[in-house]
Amino acid sequence: MLRVENLHVAVRDRLILKGVSLEVGDGEVHVIFGPNGSGKSTLAMAIIGHPDYRIVSGRIFFDGQDITEKPIDERARMGISIAFQNPPKLHGVKLKDLLARIASENGVGERFLEIVDRLNISQEHLNRYVNVGFSGGEIKRCELAQALASNPKLIILDEPDSGVDVENLELIGRFLSESLRGRSALIITHHGYILRHLKPVKAHVLIDGVIACEGDPDQILNRIMKDGYRWCERCRLMRGV
Amino acid sequence: MQVDERRLREALSKPAEYGEDLDLGEFEQESRERVEVDEDVRRRSLEVGVDLRRASSLTTFLQIDHEIAYRAVQKQFQGDIELMPIQEALERYPWVRELFWNLVSPYADKYTAYNALRPPSGFFLRILEGRRLHMPIQACFFSYSPGIIQSVHNLIVAEPGSEAYIITGCTMRRGDQKGLHIGVTEIFVKPGAKLNYTMIHRWGPNFHVRPRTGIILEESAATSYNYVLLGHVGSFQSKPFTRLEGRGATISMSNIIYLDGSSKMDMGGDCSIAGKNGRAELTTSAVALDRAKLTMRGRILCEADDGRGHISCRGLMLSDEAEIYTIPELISRRMNASLTHEAAIGRISEDQLIYLMSRGLSREEAESLIVRGFLDVSPLNLPSFLEESIKKIIDLAIKGF
Ligand SMILES: Nc1ncnc2c1ncn2[C@@H]1O[C@H](COP(=O)(O)OP(=O)(O)O)[C@@H](O)[C@H]1O
Ligand SMILES: [Mg+2]
Repeated sequence: MLRVENLHVAVRDRLILKGVSLEVGDGEVHVIFGPNGSGKSTLAMAIIGHPDYRIVSGRIFFDGQDITEKPIDERARMGISIAFQNPPKLHGVKLKDLLARIASENGVGERFLEIVDRLNISQEHLNRYVNVGFSGGEIKRCELAQALASNPKLIILDEPDSGVDVENLELIGRFLSESLRGRSALIITHHGYILRHLKPVKAHVLIDGVIACEGDPDQILNRIMKDGYRWCERCRLMRGV
Repeated sequence: MQVDERRLREALSKPAEYGEDLDLGEFEQESRERVEVDEDVRRRSLEVGVDLRRASSLTTFLQIDHEIAYRAVQKQFQGDIELMPIQEALERYPWVRELFWNLVSPYADKYTAYNALRPPSGFFLRILEGRRLHMPIQACFFSYSPGIIQSVHNLIVAEPGSEAYIITGCTMRRGDQKGLHIGVTEIFVKPGAKLNYTMIHRWGPNFHVRPRTGIILEESAATSYNYVLLGHVGSFQSKPFTRLEGRGATISMSNIIYLDGSSKMDMGGDCSIAGKNGRAELTTSAVALDRAKLTMRGRILCEADDGRGHISCRGLMLSDEAEIYTIPELISRRMNASLTHEAAIGRISEDQLIYLMSRGLSREEAESLIVRGFLDVSPLNLPSFLEESIKKIIDLAIKGF
């Protein structure tokens, strides 16, 4: 579904990703770990085609097509969606109206209301402006709802669990385990919590703009929990990256 | 109020304090065409929120040039309100004659003077004590004959404890038509009454507009005075004035402006808080396109204890040749008054655009959604059915009618 080949990405002339490759197969869920500032969000932005994230070299393939040069909106219409880590506020645009629009343009129609319901987004929130006055956890759920309302083939979740309380983590986790079925996903996370429900097939550890280590998500998570990212650094040395 | 005709004649040459000065001699005084309520009139009225197809079921007042073309009070509200030509009210009620020209000075400038020298035309609306009208009262002022000065004088009395929504649409027959609209409006809001007065205006590049409005609020009276202008106007100048006379009165004056072409608009809002605990809020959201120039003058004066006032102006610039100029003035004469203002003028945020594009909207779609969001109608305090219809009108304006 998604293949990233030796990707180098710069933000404002600073090289952040320095040769990232990974492949997510049809219906596979992958997870990305990594310390703050290692380039995880940058990778997500490069995949969706955010214009501030300049691809210096390397290629991105999606659904059999080279999308490296495609604009962000076209990639979205091809079936890539994202839940942003830090989305902007949209004054004057009601959450309900935006969701309805995303849903209707992707053949989801009224079914977006189910998504809203399952994510425990209230009627009151639907009538509010997108992200205006939302709490951290509300923003995350609102992002998830938008990302799913387009019925995507590939969904990228950038820290969907940060700042979410335990109860809502449970809710999000269970809902995602159902709604990711049949889709490919790339999940950026710090917590193992959300993974309990999701059974990712592979984890990639991003350190300093390169994939330092990859493998079984549970094993890697356990090592990170125990030894921190130092372990991965050693791993990178061992692999001679 | 008695007017002095000699002073009026003198005032005929007096330019307004602000805005482009017009030569009244360049316009026609009388309608030259036989007025007809045809499909064009109906369609254009609808574009300013007045649905003439529902004229028989909604309370409606339609004036074309200086002719009252239609007037009816919704059946269920008969006995709750009085709606009649102002001329008729002046003949019938001595107290209306007393109120006439009380809140707007006929000597203020050439436009008020011209208006005062003409036989009065416009409506008188009285909402009787304690009556609550949950359906809007719609009025339309339509300029028909090319080059005409349409001179209107409306007077509204909301009696104690009454509640009403009034929507007035002003427009004209043809988009390129020349003309001048002078609209004098005097609004008396009695203790505890609530009034929502919403104007939707649509003009053209050769049309000039000089509304003159005065509002007085008595104890605990609350008024939303809303002005929506969409598109192109040759020149526009207005500075509606509100006096919060009674304790605990509240005024919210909101402008939603989408200005294009080479429009010149000088809009103001002037509130004077004289009663304890008075609240005044002036809100403007304006989008400037092409070579449009907008000046926003907000002024709040507080001379009463615990008064509060706020002026806010948000401008969105969609062209490098456009201009938005904001002039907020706050004057406080009380230690315990709180007056604030804020203004922000900018372009569409790239972050917001990219966010929406990441959801699959094209750049153009994202822009129009953001502009529509910017012209948010929620400050107008409208009931949901009116809010929806005004939203639709704004959507149409953004799409270019
Ligand atoms: N829009 C941006 N502008 C400037 N610097 C950025 C931007 N996005 C990311 N960076 C920089 O790139 C590096 C990686 O950031 P990011 O991808 O957000 O890391 P992570 O998501 O792993 O925490 C950081 O040093 C960050 O400051
Ligand atoms: Mg990040």
